[in-house]
Amino acid sequence: MAAHPVVLDEAVGTPDAEGPDVARRTARRDRWLGVASFGAMLAVWIAVTGSGLWPPLVNPTFLPSPLTVAQTFLKLANSGYQGHTLAHHFLISLMRFGIAFGVCIAVGVPVGLLMGMHSGVRAVLDPPIETTRPIPKLALLPLFIIWFGIGELSKTIVIIAALFPMMSIAAMQAVRSVSIRKIQAAQSLGASRSMIFWRVLLPASLPGIFTGIRVAVGIGVTMLVGAEMVATSDGIAWMALTAADFVQTDVVLVGVLVMAALGYSLDLLVRWLERRLVHWTGRE
Amino acid sequence: MGIEPVALGLAARGAAKLAIDRVSKRFGRGASAVQALEPVDLAVQAGDFVCILGPSGCGKSTLLNIVAGFESPTSGVATLDGRAITGPGPERGVVFQQGALFTWLTVRDNVAFGPRALGKPVAEARDIADRYLELVGLSAFASRHPYELSGGMQQRVGIARALANEPEVLLMDEPFAALDQQTRELLQEEIRAIWRRTGKTVLWITHSIEEALFLATHLVVMTARPGRLKAAFACTFSRDPDPLVATTAAFADAKRAVVGLLRQESLAAQRQEAAA
Repeated sequence: MAAHPVVLDEAVGTPDAEGPDVARRTARRDRWLGVASFGAMLAVWIAVTGSGLWPPLVNPTFLPSPLTVAQTFLKLANSGYQGHTLAHHFLISLMRFGIAFGVCIAVGVPVGLLMGMHSGVRAVLDPPIETTRPIPKLALLPLFIIWFGIGELSKTIVIIAALFPMMSIAAMQAVRSVSIRKIQAAQSLGASRSMIFWRVLLPASLPGIFTGIRVAVGIGVTMLVGAEMVATSDGIAWMALTAADFVQTDVVLVGVLVMAALGYSLDLLVRWLERRLVHWTGRE
Repeated sequence: MGIEPVALGLAARGAAKLAIDRVSKRFGRGASAVQALEPVDLAVQAGDFVCILGPSGCGKSTLLNIVAGFESPTSGVATLDGRAITGPGPERGVVFQQGALFTWLTVRDNVAFGPRALGKPVAEARDIADRYLELVGLSAFASRHPYELSGGMQQRVGIARALANEPEVLLMDEPFAALDQQTRELLQEEIRAIWRRTGKTVLWITHSIEEALFLATHLVVMTARPGRLKAAFACTFSRDPDPLVATTAAFADAKRAVVGLLRQESLAAQRQEAAA
């Protein structure tokens, strides 16, 4: 038999044939590529705005340089915007998001679990959730303002209205996809109903619940912007929206970047919790 | 050494630990109803290792589910020590084919789950778990999670978990069907050793003739759907200390006899599938 070097080369290229060394080098390369991609975006921003190095290619009124935005950030952090400090705007937004998110986890997830376990509960709660799900929840904000006033309540409720169905449906699907074999195994080991819930159904559903939570974080930050569009005088999204009225593009960009940082760090936090709490995700 | 036809009905055997008394099962209603199981009569005595062989879809798993209490019979009754079976219970340990381990618990806590469910304190339950993990040779893996183990090791965890409650009867639903041949054969030898040591009563569902002949004291062949008992044999290979008993001429003869019976039923099952 003649040797087939081409085939051998291909075999070496498969992931299975890669040593730990190759895998580590690939990981390092990918990390650098990620940093470079981020750096390139920043470089383009620096380049088109001139940044004091050359005349700006676009009108600074429309796109201020990164340096200007950084200076504005410091100025806002020190002296605030429209009577409130930047920290106040940030914290009030975080509070609106946090309360709504907390309610959804504390109520939406248990409701979803109940819907997954009880066909009766599902029969009662499925129609209201399914029929209201396609409605864009921001469209309900004017209605919520009439019902609940212009205070914090209507803003919190509009965020809840968006996140609640997502989380409860994620929890319901998670419970319903728990393998019947695992429940039967617990039953024939003598487990009580409460033990089956706490030690089998709940842990088996956690990966699915976490997926719902991660999606909800992204939507929740979007809803926050919508909720702060009307009838407010503080909040990070309100700051950006108000600044836009006065064409203070640098303030708008500070608001956008702060919200991006908020969304990204919340996602990192949930991912970290997921790794810590549900190490069995995707494994069988 | 070999197999002998035998009557395993309730009338023929008199007293039984596990009695399956004219149990039948019908799924659905009206025209779309499917008769999964014709009335089955089977007596399992204490210490028996009964293997049930049948073509796929013959209702052998349905029979086991009824004994486990996961399904209720359409007619007839299954009793353990004279008490009717109405639901799952810890006196009947079940080992599943795969995917029934608690992925979020360590191997030790999987095995300790049963003792905990029966109200034992954590420390005692873990001691029991460690004992049974030693029995199946997994002491070194007690702190791992099931997904870190091979398929064969996962099945051993399942067996240890079922044994940890010291059940009256072990119900095994094709526990080795998803394993490769070598792992299977080693586990079969281990099961034989464990059964000899503990003297448990076992009801074992399989579609492997070799497995049934190697393990069983009694072997039941079922017909294609609707499942009935077609033939029953007393079987002595499980008492043979030789681990290579499956390579003897007597074993080959016994296998030939059972293959002949099962082949007719498998062909019938295939015709049913083609017609459906």
